Amino acid sequence: MKSLVLVKYVPDANSVFRINSAGTWVDESSLSFTVNDYDRYALEELLALKDGGAVEEVVALTVGPQAASSALRTCLATGADRAIHVRDDALEGSDPLTLARVIHQAIKDEGFSLILAGLQADDDNHTQLGGLVAGLLDYAYASAAMKLSLSGETMRVERELENNELQVVDLDLPAVVTVQTGINSPRYASLKGIMAAKKKPMTQLGLTELGMSPDSVGAGASKLKTVGFESPPKGKGAEILTGSPDEVAAQLIKRIREHAGVL
Amino acid sequence: MATKILILAEHSSGALKDISFELLGEAHRASADAHVVALLLGNGVSELAAELAKKGASEVIVVESPALENYSSDAYRHEILAAIASEDPDAVLIGNTPNGWDVAPLVAAGLMVPLASGCARIAIADGSAKCARKAFNGKFVHHVEIVDQRPIMATMDKGAAAPFDGETDGSVRTLEPTLDPGKLKSRFVETKKSESGGLDLSQASVIVSGGRGVGAPEKLDVIRELADALGGQLGASRAVTDAGWLPHEHQIGSSGVTVSPKLYVACGISGAIQHVVGMKSSGYIVAINKDPDAPIFGIADVGVVGDLFEIVPALTKQAKEAKG
Repeated sequence: MKSLVLVKYVPDANSVFRINSAGTWVDESSLSFTVNDYDRYALEELLALKDGGAVEEVVALTVGPQAASSALRTCLATGADRAIHVRDDALEGSDPLTLARVIHQAIKDEGFSLILAGLQADDDNHTQLGGLVAGLLDYAYASAAMKLSLSGETMRVERELENNELQVVDLDLPAVVTVQTGINSPRYASLKGIMAAKKKPMTQLGLTELGMSPDSVGAGASKLKTVGFESPPKGKGAEILTGSPDEVAAQLIKRIREHAGVL
Repeated sequence: MATKILILAEHSSGALKDISFELLGEAHRASADAHVVALLLGNGVSELAAELAKKGASEVIVVESPALENYSSDAYRHEILAAIASEDPDAVLIGNTPNGWDVAPLVAAGLMVPLASGCARIAIADGSAKCARKAFNGKFVHHVEIVDQRPIMATMDKGAAAPFDGETDGSVRTLEPTLDPGKLKSRFVETKKSESGGLDLSQASVIVSGGRGVGAPEKLDVIRELADALGGQLGASRAVTDAGWLPHEHQIGSSGVTVSPKLYVACGISGAIQHVVGMKSSGYIVAINKDPDAPIFGIADVGVVGDLFEIVPALTKQAKEAKG
């Protein structure tokens, strides 16, 4: 069984973010990028299925600029067998539906039985790419998986709901599943893995290879357009205490007594 | 011509979920001439339909089938697409909830229309929409526009929109289900509780929580000692439970437990939206974080910008003294 993980190269979530001068997104120029956290868990699920013999091949795919190949190299070093990098300057500014169309075009003839992705990307939080790809492929779909178990042609998925509830669903393969963080403990690349990754194939696909025209993608073709980006309203905001640790502790004790009725 | 807005009602265990009324409220605010239609999928849900007709829907469309007794992505996708085909709405609003974010992209792909997800507000006019949505886990508001699409599609964040607060005298009608239960690619099996060791933070009157800023599992003792000194329970953000530093039952937030203690102390927690929705109704909120821009300070009552490993032990010491 061939499997695919969709990964995104995103700014490290622990970064200090500033809005760019155009006011359209964060200023990415000084940020360090990494594999989207959710996607690491998705890759680990496939590697575990491969370890168990249920999956023969694990392929990693990303859409992004040159630098995003680093995310694919991380996947290869961690255990993926090959990688597909969809890259074209004309893709800049594509909305999720446009990206899903591009991914669909790149993979529709591959015959993947199982496609995993992270529930969402840590930067844009769109929470829809996996579902869009499932819809375009007409595959079964489930989101926010906290457990996967494969039996024959059926994938049982435990989906995370609210208030500590899980919903168990059965999907007929082929299927797309997005995973939640915490579903497993993602492994790290070993030195041996990093060396081996250098010999693993990474295919570059541009719009020409995909048979798509530049007019059909990118900001121009996308119907979901960014028109502004700002910090959220501050709300009432906390009273900020200052002083030495002992001084602020004393002030906190006073307020906790007065306002919370504790102590 | 009125602007026809279809909302997907959500329900479980025989009751409508809050998001249903929030979607009705937002649909009325989204357009000055909104005609709000609620789509209710289920089995034996006529009472819920009557409630929707009173609490914001001008029309309620009910599709009933044993295959809709419980949510499944394929059954819902099929019937939502069928309802959109027959009703031809200008816009479709769905909750950004576990089932909403599951089915919404399948519907969007079926229609080849864009989806604005995780919105707090939406304004619809002349076939276009302006939406305010969250990005970077709530650190920023991302304003997007959907231009000239039918239908406009968006998912709305839970708790972001006020529920409809008037009364309506809506009509209820039935659409025949069109799905073939034998052909569904996804099938509901059961709903169950995640495994837990019996801790119930929802009843705690004092909670002290640690987040990513705690840095390492052994350092949680600093947080635990403060919780003990205040007579409270130990909570955590998702980063801590995902890393396995604490069991899942300690997790506070949208996917964990929702709490409203008298006192909530957030240590090294940035305040991602997923955490905040689970604790924002606490009586008094104290935040300790080294990042002055952390969103947690926006909702806390009192905050300290600094190293939690200096401040929390000092607070623990004085709390012990205060208790005597």
